Amino acid sequence: MHFVGARDAIRSGVAMVMQETSLAPDLSVLENIMLPRLGMRGALRWGRMRAQARTLLAEFGEGTGLTPDTQVRDLSIAQRQLVEIAKALALDSRILIFDEPTAALSPHESERLFDIIRGLAARDRGVVFVSHRLEEIFSVTDRVTVLREGHVVAAGVPTTSLTQPELVRLMVGREVSDIYARQGAANTAGSEDVVLRVRGLASPPRVHDVSFEVRRGEIVALAGLVGAGRSETLETIFGLRRPTAGTIELHGRPFRAHTPREAIRAGIGFVPEDRRGQGIVPDFTVRENLMLAHLGEHVGPGLGYDVRDASVRRLLDLLELPQQRLLDASMLNFSGGMQQKVILARWLLLEPRLLLLDEPTRGVDIGTRSSIYALLRRVAAGGIACVVVSSDFEEVIGIADRIVVLSDGVSVADIPGRLLDIERLAMFAAPRSSAERTHTVLEALAAAHGGTTYWIDIDGPRLFCFDRVNGARAAEPGFVGGGFPEIEETRIPRALSATAEGLVAEADGRLHSLLVPVHGRRGHRLGLVGMTFAEVPSGFDAETVRRRVMSELGVQSEVV
Amino acid sequence: MKRVLHVLATQIEFRMLLVVIVVMVSLSLSSPYFFTASNLYNVMDQSVVTGMVALGQTLVILIGGIDLSVGALAGVTGIVLGLACHAAGLFGGIAACLGVGALAGLINGVIVTYGGVAAFVVTLGMMAIGRSMAYVLSGANSISDLPPGLSDISTGTVAGLPVDFACLLAAYALCWLFLTYAKGGRTLYAIGSNVEAARVAGLSIALWSVLAYVVSGVMSGVAAIFLASRILSIDPIGGSGLELDAIAAVVIGGASLFGGRGSIIGTLLGGFIMVFIRNGLNLLNVSPYWQGSAIGAIIVAAVLVERLLSGGRRGG
Repeated sequence: MHFVGARDAIRSGVAMVMQETSLAPDLSVLENIMLPRLGMRGALRWGRMRAQARTLLAEFGEGTGLTPDTQVRDLSIAQRQLVEIAKALALDSRILIFDEPTAALSPHESERLFDIIRGLAARDRGVVFVSHRLEEIFSVTDRVTVLREGHVVAAGVPTTSLTQPELVRLMVGREVSDIYARQGAANTAGSEDVVLRVRGLASPPRVHDVSFEVRRGEIVALAGLVGAGRSETLETIFGLRRPTAGTIELHGRPFRAHTPREAIRAGIGFVPEDRRGQGIVPDFTVRENLMLAHLGEHVGPGLGYDVRDASVRRLLDLLELPQQRLLDASMLNFSGGMQQKVILARWLLLEPRLLLLDEPTRGVDIGTRSSIYALLRRVAAGGIACVVVSSDFEEVIGIADRIVVLSDGVSVADIPGRLLDIERLAMFAAPRSSAERTHTVLEALAAAHGGTTYWIDIDGPRLFCFDRVNGARAAEPGFVGGGFPEIEETRIPRALSATAEGLVAEADGRLHSLLVPVHGRRGHRLGLVGMTFAEVPSGFDAETVRRRVMSELGVQSEVV
Repeated sequence: MKRVLHVLATQIEFRMLLVVIVVMVSLSLSSPYFFTASNLYNVMDQSVVTGMVALGQTLVILIGGIDLSVGALAGVTGIVLGLACHAAGLFGGIAACLGVGALAGLINGVIVTYGGVAAFVVTLGMMAIGRSMAYVLSGANSISDLPPGLSDISTGTVAGLPVDFACLLAAYALCWLFLTYAKGGRTLYAIGSNVEAARVAGLSIALWSVLAYVVSGVMSGVAAIFLASRILSIDPIGGSGLELDAIAAVVIGGASLFGGRGSIIGTLLGGFIMVFIRNGLNLLNVSPYWQGSAIGAIIVAAVLVERLLSGGRRGG
């Protein structure tokens, strides 16, 4: 088979869900879902198509907020991704290709998608699922084909015959334990010297309330799903967007960049997300591309390239770029990794004190990736404060000293990287809209019984608190939303370490707590919903509450 | 040999030079009048007005814009020159002429850059306004009895070249230096090639974008001065169609209408090629009615060939 265009592929029964949505923002959800019909023969039957669209959208369950007549412009990124998926499903193709479909979805939405994919497979549809997230591959696929640098290194291997480390070895071509080049706890301490302090930053429509700080020599990651406002936060700091609220302090002094030039002259560097669109100047030589940020910083009518020549040579050695490539007329025929190195070098040339990096390893082969990680470590060790935005939770945990989790434009947690794993990070990062159901239940419980209610997860000696609501006669359990104390540091260590199903009283007899485990549709753990009282209300029945939580958030529910 | 081929393959200026030489040789072979001093002076004269406007047009096209108003601006600045010469003498007239050109360019640039309106639309509007103002200010009459000093720039010579042609070469040399060695020049290229990358790198995008249009407006005024100096008379219809000749020179010179690619030397040679061919067609007694077809075919063919030679990366 060889398709001469998308329409040809669609006619042959192949549909594709793009990673970056290819929707027309000014058309409605219905029109977008039915867009491929415009390329087919025959009249359009809107009534029938509307009914079909409703059925398709219903498959995603309630709570997606999608109706056929909403304009796509008004949808969140996660909603757009769902529309993209519905568009592919509408074609009723025999083969569907999903290219990283979960990058913008919360864990619950992803699960729902996997159910749909399994349903498709059960109806004899073939599904190609492109992903680099191992859990997804193991949870949804039957067979795995591994591609590395444009070559197939394993074809059609049954998923069940593989283990995670084996798969990783196939993907990387070697053991990966060293890819993030973490050297013990050398960097985790950072220094006391706060380079950047952001408080309550807002820049609509994506950034609403973001606070964090970065110290000298520290790598801080802004983690979250696509659309959580991470890139926009960096762009606001760098002067590409206007803040409407909040403060930014650079080296302890209030700072506001109106233009990127002001940010650059204040010692900030910015490696943007879209290398082709915001990084590379295609008509410039490699040397001039390297000098671009220098040109922005340079004062005076000339170019001042010569001044930088010595540093350029030094940098090229550091980046393992051959000197003679400097004269290449264009960097478009470089590999993604090489291009990214040049863009990085562009900023390192200016010796910034704060480096903002947006998805620094997107589209970069895994070999170069580890050399970029190593480089970032060296850069940080040299005293530069780094802020990294990444959608790859594994990368975030691997590279960052501290992780600031963003969810729907709000910073919800600030946690040392070594304390988190991918699943807990995903729970923190769940969009507020998806976590709303839990929040509603917490509020209802607090209103009904008083006390303090919360959604937490426990990992060994530590707990992570995702949300907390104070009712009447609130009791202080010793942790807040976004907190991650050790169980022994909280006010309710007994309840947290007990496995009892009923109320547990603390040693001093003052606080009483009830914890109810919550499980997802396929039985995996989604943490615990709990409540703590200073005084147990009369007529409180632990079993009734437990049932209520189970029925509202437990296995029958579709969206947490 | 290999090196020469490499230079030919990579440097559009050298390819252009080759074309100019081929055109000159074939014209001097087919007409005995072509390579005479009087005809060459004539050719130089003819290349000045278009060349001046094409210089400004190159800067605008480099940033991915276009300036359709240059011909009409040459018309209105010419009228301003005439009126101001009567009121304030030759230097007052020149200052007013260039000032009006700069102002019109500034308006173009500000609306395109800050208003976000497509350059095509803004300069199309300015074209209509400019031509209309030329008629309004002149009362639809031509202006004569200009100060005789004005004709010195087209009749005098310097180092064997006509003064106006020497001015043209000097302007292009200056522009080449700017585009090659000045921050502003490189910024123009960066804006046209990838404006977002330029923004992130902290380049002054708005400033240089506006300045490109200002220069284009000023060069329209310069063209008007040279136009007036030849016959010491100014007509409100002056400069009609100049914008198309200028855009043709820039495009034949290898610039991309999408911006980011092009060279000022290419534009100069592109202008020469057009003038040579027009001149050649005249010498060969080709009907003026046919000349438009010839020039049109040459424009399209030149860009097509250039696109094929440069690997078809981006079309002009």
